[in-house]
Amino acid sequence: MVEAPLALIAEITHRCPLHCVYCSNPEQMVSPASELSTQQWQRVFEESAKLGILHVHLTGGEPLAREDLIKLVQSAHQHGLYTNLITSGVGLSDQKLEALVDAGLDHIQLSFQDSREAAANWIAGTRSHALKLQIAPMIRRSKAAFTVNIVIHRQNVDHLEEMIALAESLEPERLEIAHVQYYGWAWKNLDTLLPSRDQVLKSLEKITAAQKRLEGKIRIDAVVPDYYARFPKACMGGWGRRQLLIDPSGTVLPCHAAAVIPGLRFENVRDRALEWIWQESESFQKFRGESWMPEPCRSCDRRAEDFGGCRCQAFMITGDAAATDPVCSLAPTHSLIEQKLSQMNSAVPEQTAQLVSIQPQNFWVYRPQPK
Amino acid sequence: MPDLEDSSQPRLATGCRWTGEGSNRTLVYPEGALRLQETAMAILERCDGQRTFQQIVEELVNAYNASDPGKIRQDASVFLERLRQKRLVDF
Repeated sequence: MVEAPLALIAEITHRCPLHCVYCSNPEQMVSPASELSTQQWQRVFEESAKLGILHVHLTGGEPLAREDLIKLVQSAHQHGLYTNLITSGVGLSDQKLEALVDAGLDHIQLSFQDSREAAANWIAGTRSHALKLQIAPMIRRSKAAFTVNIVIHRQNVDHLEEMIALAESLEPERLEIAHVQYYGWAWKNLDTLLPSRDQVLKSLEKITAAQKRLEGKIRIDAVVPDYYARFPKACMGGWGRRQLLIDPSGTVLPCHAAAVIPGLRFENVRDRALEWIWQESESFQKFRGESWMPEPCRSCDRRAEDFGGCRCQAFMITGDAAATDPVCSLAPTHSLIEQKLSQMNSAVPEQTAQLVSIQPQNFWVYRPQPK
Repeated sequence: MPDLEDSSQPRLATGCRWTGEGSNRTLVYPEGALRLQETAMAILERCDGQRTFQQIVEELVNAYNASDPGKIRQDASVFLERLRQKRLVDF
């Protein structure tokens, strides 16, 4: 018997007013016309709760772009799900926020691209930073739990302390400091996002110091960059083990990026029961457990801890989704990562302030709007 | 951060609540969930922001017919302090 998943990541739309250069959305985004209806999402939440899921993360794109968001929150809450809104804040008003909290919203995660306005807008490809600063106190006044999320990378990690200070001033219960993960649009921008080893080590020291200083006040969760790790991350807590993602059209995926893996057939909630998809479908069984593992994973002591790392990363870097994650120091293909890191560490990180002012047109690949 | 005192009134932190019934009773909070053992549950279910820490300890001593109230007080205090560090409890 397969264990029940704990969390559903509900990508309810790919529409978004921001164009962040590290967006986790896939290259092929879902058009607004193909999005699931209100009723279809309501059924998904009912099925999710029956399956044993505890948390639903409403995300996108920008979930506030869905006009029926309040109804969706209401439905998730009525089915007993712990409901989290992952948002840029764009589209939120006092009135809307109150309605969402009344509908049962438990938690709001507000993202920031930087502490400096010009740099933040440069990353987002739109002017959204000032608005976020107005939205944050509204969220703080509401009854929902508040997480501030900051994403760090080569262009902003040097002033991480300034970003932590900004987050602190917004008084959240929780702060998430996430090094960029190289999927989706971040993969296209890898060369301008991947930090140097020195930057990473300094950032980890700063995060540890902040965790100690803010203990009992703000809980800081950090996402570390796996390219510099000795062992891979337990991606999604293991393939088909803890979480699932439903994209705006109802396609059910084991993670944000799984659609990059060729030859996998992903089922849709329009055609199949969620329970069957989780337990029986080929795509969810493909890398579940240990039978798919190659050496050195198969006989590795860490295989029940990191599950061989990330399947999407293995495919993107080695061309084989069933390979050991190349970030692992034991992987036969680890030299591919070492080559990349050596290239990135021989170049000195550019100065953000200069880049913003002399911004070359083709510095980033911005995430476009779905058509 | 104030210390936990007899007059403190511990409560679940913002965004932290119970879900499920009976053996499925689970504490849910941002990005996490906890299934608690019986004694831990007995402490936390009394953290309603009304009862004082002293009342909670007295209730636990009675409920478990405990011979060493000092030990119960000490254990409950360590437990609640740990949950406050995780931002699951406020007092």
